[in-house]
Amino acid sequence: MARTELPAVAVEQLHVVRGGRVVIAGLSCTVRSGRITGLLGPSGSGKSTLIRAIVGVQAVAGGAVRVLGEPAGSPVLRDRVGYVTQSPSVYPGLTVAENVRFFACVLGVSLQDVDRVLEVVDLARYADTMVGRLSGGERSRVSLASALLGSPRLLVLDEPTVGLDPVLRVRLWDLFAALASEGISLLVSSHVMDEAERCDDLLLLRDGALLAEDTPAGLLERTGTDDVEAAFLALIDEGAA
Amino acid sequence: MTAVIDNPMTRSTRAELLRLRKWPAVWVTVAVWVALALMFGYLFPYLSYRTGDLSFAGDGDTRAQLLVEMLPAALPTVLVQGLPMFGGALALVLGAIVAGNGYGWGTWKTVFTQGPSRPTTVGGSLVALTIAVVGILALTLVLFTGVSLVVAGVESQAVTWPAAGALLESFGGGFLVLEMWALLGYTLGTVARGPALAVGLGLVWALVVENLLRGVGALLGPVEAVTEVLPGTAGGSLVGALIDVSANPNETPGILDVLSGGQALVTVTAYCVGLVVLVLVLVRRRDVA
Repeated sequence: MARTELPAVAVEQLHVVRGGRVVIAGLSCTVRSGRITGLLGPSGSGKSTLIRAIVGVQAVAGGAVRVLGEPAGSPVLRDRVGYVTQSPSVYPGLTVAENVRFFACVLGVSLQDVDRVLEVVDLARYADTMVGRLSGGERSRVSLASALLGSPRLLVLDEPTVGLDPVLRVRLWDLFAALASEGISLLVSSHVMDEAERCDDLLLLRDGALLAEDTPAGLLERTGTDDVEAAFLALIDEGAA
Repeated sequence: MTAVIDNPMTRSTRAELLRLRKWPAVWVTVAVWVALALMFGYLFPYLSYRTGDLSFAGDGDTRAQLLVEMLPAALPTVLVQGLPMFGGALALVLGAIVAGNGYGWGTWKTVFTQGPSRPTTVGGSLVALTIAVVGILALTLVLFTGVSLVVAGVESQAVTWPAAGALLESFGGGFLVLEMWALLGYTLGTVARGPALAVGLGLVWALVVENLLRGVGALLGPVEAVTEVLPGTAGGSLVGALIDVSANPNETPGILDVLSGGQALVTVTAYCVGLVVLVLVLVRRRDVA
């Protein structure tokens, strides 16, 4: 008998109001397990707010968000969800290793795991370098290393490739693919449409509403376009018509 | 035993202690405190004593009295006399940067989603801050003891140690005063979600506003009643009671005799407890920006 796999994230009729403004209005979507789901949309489309609701730091006005079968923000999710914020959340006055050790202490993870995650994000040689001296991309990888500590089942990455050079971006997407192949679910937000082809599934957002939820191939086929950016524009036209 | 050592609270405390220990800003704050404390506690009095220029000894002290105040027997007084003014201000800065930087660099947001619960995480941070305050006061005591022994040696004075009870009382009272200011800074850092505004507002309050209010309070009865429960008044009065300022006039800024020792102790303790509760309620209820 075929087993129905629980989605990593299930969002039902999410409604978020911030500063008196409706930021997300009745949004529903899912993030499938063991896949890379791209959350794409222009700046201000509600990507970060949706991510904050998924990791449980956003007060919601209505709807439900379930993560790995539990309500978003549940205590049991704390060591199962890794979260990388849009701006690297690192202390510039500490070294790379000290920053990751800080999070390892908080999570109760073995300090040997610090070396492992620094290898994974290719920062082992900078372990003793003060984070304040690193480039923006390197700081992002320190944040990513902290999120990889322990054994997260879901990684939520808010614009992790912003400011990275093309070589690093490719390496990071290769890393995401490797993590997905180990069964980790990834939700990766981006406003760069050409990163969509690296994803297994796509969620297209605009003005706090979901424009499409599909695979990249399915989206191109449905809109009759050649790339995701054109598909995005076609969906806007379709909605306006 | 393992459960005691490795629970979420001790993990948060260990993480925060690691951060404080490795963070240059903390050591800069500690170094400034040590430099100021040594300067006002020993260097200036000693220069005054050696040169015979007693203008620094504004309390009408004679040279002999100045020397007595630098010997080991005076440790309980010297340890706390700098706390109401610059000690409290620096503790406030420490508390504000410990809480505020976590917001400024976005690390609280990550910790609140991945680590232990928010109250546990912040509880661990407050324990670490408290340990830092105790450590700073202990370091000060060790340094002051060393310097007072050097003064006794150089000036060929017999070494008389203070009563252990007096020293403990001084250490305990001093700890409460520093802890109150550190917690006030931590609360401001939490409210402002950043270090800069918290440090700025905190210092203006501690160094300017309270003194102005006390000045106005001397003229207006209702304002005077308010000034009696301000943190600076409570901390200054507690130190004043510890060194018995009414019997031994001490013109060090910030040392007061507005409240009795008991009233000051209760007020400072109430601030400590109230500020911890306020911080925990705030981080539990608010969004993380």
